[in-house]
Amino acid sequence: MSAVLLALEGDDLGHGDQVVLPGLRLGLRHGERVALLGQSGAGKSTLLGELRHRLGEEAAWCPQQHGLVPGLAVYHNVYMGRLAEHSALANLWNLVRPLAEPWHQVAELCDALGLAGLMRRPVGQLSGGQRQRVAIARALYQQRSLFLGDEPVASVDPHQALRLLDLIDARHATSVIALHQRELALTHFDRVWGLRDGRLVIDAPASTLRLADLDALYPDAGGDSAEGEAGGDA
Amino acid sequence: MTGTELARRDTRPRWLSGQSTGLRLARHTLTLVALAVVLVPFADLAVVTRDPWSELAQMARGLAWPAWGTVESPLEALGLTVAVALWGTLGGLALGFPLALLFARSRLVRAGCAFVRAIHELFWALLFLQVFGLSAATALMALAIPYAGIFAKVFAEILEQIPAAPRDALPPGVSRLSRFIYAELPLAWTRLAAYTRYRFECALRASVLLGFVGLPTLGFQLETAFREGRYHEAGALLWLFYLLIASLPWWGHRRLIPLLAVGGLFLLAPWPEVSGSLLWRFVSQDIWPPALLAGDWHGVIDWLARIPDLGPAIGNTLLLGLLGSVGALLVALALWPLACRHFGNPATRLAGRGLLLFLRSTPELMLAFLFLLLLGPSLLPAWLALSLHNGALIAFLVARHADAITPGMPAASGVGRFAYELLPRVYPGMLALLYYRAEVILRETAILGMLGVATLGYYIDANFEYLLFDVAFFLLLITALLNIAVDALSRRLRPREVAVIDDPCQR
Repeated sequence: MSAVLLALEGDDLGHGDQVVLPGLRLGLRHGERVALLGQSGAGKSTLLGELRHRLGEEAAWCPQQHGLVPGLAVYHNVYMGRLAEHSALANLWNLVRPLAEPWHQVAELCDALGLAGLMRRPVGQLSGGQRQRVAIARALYQQRSLFLGDEPVASVDPHQALRLLDLIDARHATSVIALHQRELALTHFDRVWGLRDGRLVIDAPASTLRLADLDALYPDAGGDSAEGEAGGDA
Repeated sequence: MTGTELARRDTRPRWLSGQSTGLRLARHTLTLVALAVVLVPFADLAVVTRDPWSELAQMARGLAWPAWGTVESPLEALGLTVAVALWGTLGGLALGFPLALLFARSRLVRAGCAFVRAIHELFWALLFLQVFGLSAATALMALAIPYAGIFAKVFAEILEQIPAAPRDALPPGVSRLSRFIYAELPLAWTRLAAYTRYRFECALRASVLLGFVGLPTLGFQLETAFREGRYHEAGALLWLFYLLIASLPWWGHRRLIPLLAVGGLFLLAPWPEVSGSLLWRFVSQDIWPPALLAGDWHGVIDWLARIPDLGPAIGNTLLLGLLGSVGALLVALALWPLACRHFGNPATRLAGRGLLLFLRSTPELMLAFLFLLLLGPSLLPAWLALSLHNGALIAFLVARHADAITPGMPAASGVGRFAYELLPRVYPGMLALLYYRAEVILRETAILGMLGVATLGYYIDANFEYLLFDVAFFLLLITALLNIAVDALSRRLRPREVAVIDDPCQR
């Protein structure tokens, strides 16, 4: 078995005093690709936030709201992924005239992500799908071994989602990615974490799961089970 | 449920009773108006001049038939007005921007900014006049110092409101400066630029006003012409000023600013020779009571006893502030529909917009000056000027806000549309604007004293004239404290649940 990167052993996760995920137990191993599933509000972002906090500089991070700056060009938004590696002066100068090396590296990434020719365009003028790819480009540009993404392929078509996930896989050994496409979770990942009402109800290899197992994570989707039921088994 | 209970629940409500926002704000407003009505008898509102109407007719003729040829070197006065406004704003920006970054963290910075903001540009000019004389240095400092306080506060508010997502998305270990220039400044940029633009417009008005204390901007010739009854020349100068403001979008283009700034530098010369020792003497000795510097406490008490009774002046300042605010509210209520797309026809709207533009671009001191010539020295001209200028300003913003509203019942027109569709939607924002504006109105109240209205400003002006700098400075401190107190009070009284109209004029 490969090395454990991180283990939670009954930790309470939340924001300030408010506990969202009580008594959470899970482990993340090197080389594992994990899909994180659950309804909105189930605690996916809280869990990813905690992983990001614990893994620190090991993890590249692609947030749900993208966290892009609309007034800056695509190049500068991607460059922000490695802002900490340059001096403030170099960062300042980079706004005046892009530094040569980062410019070539970012151009390469943009080509791979179908953003070629858009590097000078302000992010505010891009479509939703393009912005999503800029956010991914920024995470890839960080060049870490581990990728954390909060719905990074939410607003692109299934075909493109596959391509993006392949790109992420090619550049990271380990990844934890929140998704809402259940089929993708089974076909493209090694392991599935399923959150429901603040509890980890699924933690199993993707090969042992069927789509029907995942349906249990979405009680509201079927329309036949009431919300109250969820509270009953807690 | 029994019949009687039903009947009781459905009783017709009495006058203005109920808990809806509209009714509560209506009661709030009526209380304000009632307070103003009760206090009006205490205000001196006498019309002193004998024949205001013929004077008004003469002024109107002057405005209608301006005598362009009589204006002496208009281009130089215009250029200097613009140069002072531009460099004053830039100076305020240079001082205020770093302070904005410290604003949230330092109580000292907040207090200092509140203090410099509370003193009007003209009073700063009077103060610096004693050190730098009638020079560009006086004019620039008079604008740059209060604007630094204003920029610090407004920029800090804008920076506080930027979305946090880009900041949170940054990898760990990013330095403070890098974070600021990548994930904070670009997000606030448009709003910062828009506010700076608005402040430059204010600076243009203030720059004209500096002529009233003797600096050779447009206001100097304007004041002289009016005072000496040369209304045709004054009319020409006023038109020049309106043209300057109205053409701002063209000559004030982003790309032209550096050119204007460099050209302005030449106009601002010659720079005064400032003697450091003189400046130091002024700051360390002249503006403080001698007894205080000597540590003689009995002397300080004697000094305080010799200051004329300030009760009536403070009373007048506060009274004028209240009356001015209520007047501005009534004027705004009456005028906003004139410029709003939901009422009237294109001709009336054009006229309405023109009227609002005229009233809000004329500096209130200028309006007060005109009314003073018409009506004689009392609180009345000041009250009219404050109400009209600030009312028109609020009306303009409210009309623009109302233009963006699509009525739910397009068939309703006239009064129905005003009272049911639009007023309930815009009134909360309008009242919030008024409370914002109350601080500005009070500041202006004080400077109207320079025209002879018996507010605190009157005594400040007089004491500067008698070279009693210690007394004048003491009165300035009192004025600033009064402003800060009223600002705190209006913050407290302001109705809470308001939909704020995006207001470029926030202070």
